Amino acid sequence: MLLELKNIYKWVNSGGRRFYLLKDAHLQVEEGEFISIMGPSGSGKSTLLNVIGMLDDFNEGEYNFLDEPVHQLKEKHKANLYKEYIGFVFQAYHLIDELTVYENIETPLLYKKISGSERKALVADMLDRFNIVGKKDLFPSQLSGGQQQLVGIARALITKPKLILADEPTGNLNSKQGEEIMELFKQLNEEGVTIIQVTHSEKNAEYGSRIINLLDGTVIEK
Amino acid sequence: MIKNYFKIAWRNLWKHKVYSFINIFGLSIGMAVAVMIGLWVHDELSFNDYFSNKKGIAQVYQSLTYNGENLTYNALPRPLEMELRNKYNDNFKHIVMSSWNTAGYLEYKDIKISSSGSFIQEGAIDMLNLKIVKGVRNGLAELNSIMLSASTAKAIFGDTDPIGKTIKLNSEHDMQVTAVYEDIPKNNSFHDLNYMTPWKLYVNSAEWIKNAADQWGNGSFQMFVQIADNTTMEQVDKTIRLAKMNAAPDDQKAYNPKILLLPMNDWYLRSNFENGVQSGGRIEYVWLFGIVGVFVLLLACINFMNLSTARSEKRAKEVGIRKSIGSNRSQLIRQFLGESLFTVSVAYIAALILVMISLKGFNTLASKEIILPWTNSQFWMLSLGFILFTSLLSGSYPALYLSSFNPVKVLKGTFKAGKLAALPRKVLVVTQFTVSIILIIGTILVMKQIQYTKNRPVGYNKEGLIQIPTNSPDFYGKTDFMRNEFITSGAVVNMATSSSPLTDVWSNNGGYTWEGKPIGFQDDFAFIMVSPEYAKTLGLAFVEGRDFSIKFPTDSSAVILNKTAVEYMGLKNPIGKLMRDSNEDDPDPPLKIIGVVEDMVMQSPYEPSKQTLYVIDKYQASSYYNLRMNPDRSVSTNLETIEKVFKKNFPGLPFEYEFIDAQYAQKFASEERVASLASVFTALAILISCLGLFGLASFVAEQRTKEIGVRKVLGASILNLWKLLSKDFLVLVVISIAIASPLAYYFMNQWIQKFTYRTDISWWIFLLAGAGAISITIITISFQSIKAATANPIKSLRTE
Repeated sequence: MLLELKNIYKWVNSGGRRFYLLKDAHLQVEEGEFISIMGPSGSGKSTLLNVIGMLDDFNEGEYNFLDEPVHQLKEKHKANLYKEYIGFVFQAYHLIDELTVYENIETPLLYKKISGSERKALVADMLDRFNIVGKKDLFPSQLSGGQQQLVGIARALITKPKLILADEPTGNLNSKQGEEIMELFKQLNEEGVTIIQVTHSEKNAEYGSRIINLLDGTVIEK
Repeated sequence: MIKNYFKIAWRNLWKHKVYSFINIFGLSIGMAVAVMIGLWVHDELSFNDYFSNKKGIAQVYQSLTYNGENLTYNALPRPLEMELRNKYNDNFKHIVMSSWNTAGYLEYKDIKISSSGSFIQEGAIDMLNLKIVKGVRNGLAELNSIMLSASTAKAIFGDTDPIGKTIKLNSEHDMQVTAVYEDIPKNNSFHDLNYMTPWKLYVNSAEWIKNAADQWGNGSFQMFVQIADNTTMEQVDKTIRLAKMNAAPDDQKAYNPKILLLPMNDWYLRSNFENGVQSGGRIEYVWLFGIVGVFVLLLACINFMNLSTARSEKRAKEVGIRKSIGSNRSQLIRQFLGESLFTVSVAYIAALILVMISLKGFNTLASKEIILPWTNSQFWMLSLGFILFTSLLSGSYPALYLSSFNPVKVLKGTFKAGKLAALPRKVLVVTQFTVSIILIIGTILVMKQIQYTKNRPVGYNKEGLIQIPTNSPDFYGKTDFMRNEFITSGAVVNMATSSSPLTDVWSNNGGYTWEGKPIGFQDDFAFIMVSPEYAKTLGLAFVEGRDFSIKFPTDSSAVILNKTAVEYMGLKNPIGKLMRDSNEDDPDPPLKIIGVVEDMVMQSPYEPSKQTLYVIDKYQASSYYNLRMNPDRSVSTNLETIEKVFKKNFPGLPFEYEFIDAQYAQKFASEERVASLASVFTALAILISCLGLFGLASFVAEQRTKEIGVRKVLGASILNLWKLLSKDFLVLVVISIAIASPLAYYFMNQWIQKFTYRTDISWWIFLLAGAGAISITIITISFQSIKAATANPIKSLRTE
């Protein structure tokens, strides 16, 4: 099993009242799955994704990732864990504006202290694979949305993660670009990468092998 | 990784040119000020470093008590020399008696120059470790020998060998040149020791000096010592404390004489004495400017901090992304520190250029000869340390702040910067303006004090007066003749001589008795010997009595007092009273008081005038001619004529003169230097603070573009918006004024206490500083707020 969430609660206190963002959430993910998380606005989809990605904390419950008890780990240990195994893809791409395409893709490798020649080879592979060799010296603002998201995915994949977390990856794209991105995800999944995506679109959700529905922070099994 | 950081740093700098300019320009000004002050402080602290024995050298001082008031000075009696040599010799390596360094004429064939030098004992050569360029090391062994500094030798002999040549000193002594020593650099005591002649010659040259050998009360000489290797300055200082007390006669013991050492280390920076104890001196200015330098640098660093945190919203996204793709906080901290290191390095290069450009002006202002030590490795090490220090100072807070962002919040876009950093930012702005306002108030007060003192009546008319030094024996006895010569030439309306320059007092006298003198009162007067036309020439007004007159031959034993002397002596009706010498054997008749004149400011313009006695110079052996030039002719014609008359009568002497008003103005040189340096630094501090404010204002205007747009659509006028945007900053400046005013009052009150004649710290200074700060603030931020307020709201709303 890749990861398991048990009885996860997350809340915020506001005006003396407690609002639940996640309420007794359960989830088991096997390696190689392609999961789509769906649900209305405010149902906690992104929160769940951030909890899985260890970017966000939760208040109660158990989270095991590759048999490591995440809820007991120190911040640094957690960071090492997600650095090693998880890649993020964002709706708004979130590329670093001051870096070129090449440098954006290279940055995660810098944090993993990978040698220069190896970095060059890895980034070149990635540029090649996504057909963006010609754009490697451009800055994000010089690219279309679809191209930016390609770079975002390339950057997420460069460290060879086991798991890709994608928060509405096609939300800012037109339907044709969106389709291309989803095809890419499908292909990656077939190569063995586990993917969890948050989406509003039924059509995109269909690309996944399993759909999780969220309502008011609770997972509703279908 | 580092490369990546620098790339980002560089692209960020390039992308946000206005911010970068403000950052780098502000930092470089701050750093330039710090470097310049650093060089200045180093120069001050390295005074006298030329002397390798610096640590062991001291000047001997004596401290005497008159009527409970303590005076400490370096004028010593001759018998102290033998006392120290006989009883305390083990403590010293060298004991060196010296005359005062005075102007003298050197003459060789038809070359005549006026120079300055001393009669000094031969121990000086080894004590000062003088570097002999030519001739023998001990060049003072013979009575008629003279040692010249290299530049003096060059001035007289050019490139010919001076050794063995005979030159005439003060038209009096034939001296043989025995040695030439390297010039002593300007940044040292003795730098004006252009020649040295044997002390023995001095002793033989005048009766009064010979007689001084056993006069413990005749403090007219200087003494320098180098202590023995096996002892310490404190030890020797203590050992010789009572040397005079134990040996002097009873009338001297009454002044409770104490002997003390002022180490060479302290000559320049800590030479003030208060009640017989060393109490600072120039070192206070070194501290003051050191602190100012640190503060100006701090102001620039605050700009950096404020602009970095204000722009955090822009950087927040990058922080979030980096964190989500695997950066941990320490890596981000390193990245941001790296960026500040980069910015600071660029700013330092700019700062060095600024220093290069302004060093000449700074040297003029500070009267220094400072150069940038390009080739000194220590300078570069310090520079490196300075860059690191500034980077940490300015970069730590932004690095900690920026790296703390939560990636989920910033990436979701719910993150609003500013709120979190607003309070520290406000505190920093208040700090900046507090410092600037304190500097403004301080500068205004220093200037006010100088102006106040300059306006002090000096008691005589100093315009159109010149003085000619008359130290050569050639002048003796010729006063009346020369006066007549000058007046008939038409260039001069009156002339009088004096034994001290008009702007100083060179001799003091005491030991008089008079009717009603309190028992045990230890009197002490400034003692000026003058020619009878002194008061008329100067325009010195009489309070009562009459001036000296050639009609009364008895005026040779008459005395004129100044107003302060009358009060000092406690006289009700001074005219006609007698002043007798306490020494009953004194052959001279008592002095009869014939007149009282207004006080003249001769010494410090910040202190009350000293009680003064003016008597007739019977021997016509004055130190200066004071000439009142003809006001109906131009100054240059007058000077030409005077020079002609002078040359005609003293063909062997160079014609030298000084304007009295210029000489008087010299008294303010040190304070004026402080004032002009302070105003430059204040201006720069304000500039830096305004740069920061400008940056912040533009940031706020940018941040509130949407709000401004909405308000405008709802009907807000430009004035409304301008008020809205300016208010927050004005509040901060008002708070700064409230903090700065009492602080400035406290510091400046302490500073001004050292002047007896001082201006008051008026309320308008604070008003002026406050109004100035507020108007500068309004001007600075209005530029941005008006720009924001007049922008088309449709544009700003559409961008959302």
